[in-house]
Amino acid sequence: MYACLFAPDFSVQAACRMEPHTGRTLRQSLIVALDGPANMLRVVAANDAARTAGIQIGMTKLQAETSGVSLRKRSVANEDTAQGVLLDCGRVFSPCVESTCLGTVIIDLIGTEKLFGSPENTAGKIIRYAAMFGFELHVGIAANPETAMFAARGYSGVTVVPEGVEARWLAPLAIDILPVSPEMLDILDAWGIHTLRALAALPPIALTERLGQEGLQLQRLARGHTSRLLVPAESTGDVIEAYEFEDPVETLESLTFILNRLLQQACIRLVSRSLATNQFEVGLDLEARQLKTEQSTEHYQRAWKLPLPIQDGRVLFRLACLDLEKNTFSAPIKKITVRVTPVRPRSVQHGLFVPVSPETEQLEITLARIRGLVGSTDENGTPCVGSPAVLDSHRPDSFAVMPFSSQTKSGNALRATTSILALRVFRPALEASVETTQDRPHYVSIRQKRFRVLAASGPWCNSGQWWNASAWARDEWDLAVKTWEGIGYYRIYLDKIRKQWFVEGMFD
Amino acid sequence: MSAANLLRSQIEARLPSAFAVYRRPTQKTIPTGISQIDDLHGGVPVGALTEICGSSWASSGKTSVLVSLLANASQNHFCALVDASDVFDPTSADTTGMNLSRLLWVRCGKSQSRLKPLEQAFKVTDMLLQNGGFGLIVVDLGSIAERFVHNVPLSSWFRFSRVVEKQATALVFVEQQPHATSCAGFVLRMTTDPATFSGKLITKFNLKAEVMRTREKKPIQSASDFSLKTLWA
Repeated sequence: MYACLFAPDFSVQAACRMEPHTGRTLRQSLIVALDGPANMLRVVAANDAARTAGIQIGMTKLQAETSGVSLRKRSVANEDTAQGVLLDCGRVFSPCVESTCLGTVIIDLIGTEKLFGSPENTAGKIIRYAAMFGFELHVGIAANPETAMFAARGYSGVTVVPEGVEARWLAPLAIDILPVSPEMLDILDAWGIHTLRALAALPPIALTERLGQEGLQLQRLARGHTSRLLVPAESTGDVIEAYEFEDPVETLESLTFILNRLLQQACIRLVSRSLATNQFEVGLDLEARQLKTEQSTEHYQRAWKLPLPIQDGRVLFRLACLDLEKNTFSAPIKKITVRVTPVRPRSVQHGLFVPVSPETEQLEITLARIRGLVGSTDENGTPCVGSPAVLDSHRPDSFAVMPFSSQTKSGNALRATTSILALRVFRPALEASVETTQDRPHYVSIRQKRFRVLAASGPWCNSGQWWNASAWARDEWDLAVKTWEGIGYYRIYLDKIRKQWFVEGMFD
Repeated sequence: MSAANLLRSQIEARLPSAFAVYRRPTQKTIPTGISQIDDLHGGVPVGALTEICGSSWASSGKTSVLVSLLANASQNHFCALVDASDVFDPTSADTTGMNLSRLLWVRCGKSQSRLKPLEQAFKVTDMLLQNGGFGLIVVDLGSIAERFVHNVPLSSWFRFSRVVEKQATALVFVEQQPHATSCAGFVLRMTTDPATFSGKLITKFNLKAEVMRTREKKPIQSASDFSLKTLWA
């Protein structure tokens, strides 16, 4: 059995998919899609309500406006995205999915009865699932792909054509439902053939003599006597959602509204495939004509890498919003694209002895907010937020900051602890002036304050990386200095390359 | 029934909690890993605000207590260190055996921001408390000038103390002087005595910890002397 997922008035549905209450809007409002040059816009698609109200394909924008319809601009990008979503809807129910044309997807249902039940049940599930993405579908199920497609296009709702009686179901449909050329349609019209019943009733040999193999093929289609294999559509792997605005938007509210919908739908698509994501991108295309400076780029791209796979669209949306709030764009935004990389969802084994940890999704948002507050990196490019890690280097104060995660396996190892005197590091090191007596520090000035050295331990010579430009060499001293608050123990060093004294830190 | 009891029963009928006495839950503690301090109070109280104070110019041992506390707590909890002046030394921490992957280190004041490091530290602490899940949150204000910390309104300390009271989190502030007054559940003052030299090497630091304040009754012994070895001793 094959099922055809057909979205009628696809241009209109693709344009309205991101709007709230899409289903109700499509049923109750008069909506048309316009296309063409800016001064020659014409109606290319209209929903049922608009057609009932007298809207015809090819009307000008002015004619359509007089009928009180809502106008949408047709967007090829939106239609491509909608077709991708429709394919994903099909993939939920079958691995073999064919993208027949825009708004039409055919899936192979053979062997899925035990999973989804009878064909009627399967069709109902397909319609409900597609409704989550803003589609109103007609579903046709038949023994061959073409009959399923004609049933979906010819009848509204769910149509199940039993095997062997295809011709009877297809009989009432108009002849223009077939993929027939205009010349052939004129000939059939001249013969008085207006329905598939009439075409199916013609004698095949006489029809072939007059119309050739094309005529015979049309009659086979009309009788439902065709058979072919589906051409499976290739899956790109990444889940991509995009939306092109009719008019470029300038406010964050308009942008985040659509962004939220895109991310939510991307996550629904992931969940339906039992997947999660640990990496996603948001791309914004700016209106090039309104770029304020020549240096400004027309495209803004931002990527996030998450420490753990996540399925919650709200978390992704919050992370993206926190970043967008920090940026100002040099031109209005005309298109937004979301690319989500699917990965296997995480599985967590809980245990009695596992420590309580911050909730992963909430923690990611908190960390993003903290980064927004204190900054992402310092002047050296080292992250300001994360877990410290000691580098394998002899250079003093060499460390890295790794992404913090509450689900690290390495973090569960217990280590024996000892208490030692800790160093309080000054970053960057404080400049100091040192007065020496017999090559030993006697007085030291730190932050414009002069202290007498009570005891000095050193010099401890240290150097490294002499083979490259970041060479360092220093003589370290540990000093006990008398301050007005008591005795302070400091580590100072003479930078032999810069010939300058510095205070590295205080033992505290 | 006396008039007072009658009045009380009538009020309690309308407002059941009118005469209820607020009782703080029994405090758990996180050991600092320094037995002399743990003997005084058992460690840092969970669900309370703690202040560890010490001088900024002279060595006092406050950072060593902080690192030891984090090393000890990181074995069983996820910890956060809000470093207002970016003075934390990962090498010292690694030597103590701290589980660095369980430590969230927030380095304040490293980027061009309209907020001062002190304001950043307080806002970050607020976010971490709201997030929850951390067993220990340490805010190091030890290198922030005293005049700035002194200007922090008492309401901020009070808010922190009430928020942390409902969580299984120990909130520790490292400062030069105590500021939270009655909002603090435990105040520890650190001072130092002259260090021990072995020839030219400083080998041992002699420290003194004094308990300034606890929520419960005063400890029998309020001060304790102890010493810490240096990394190379």
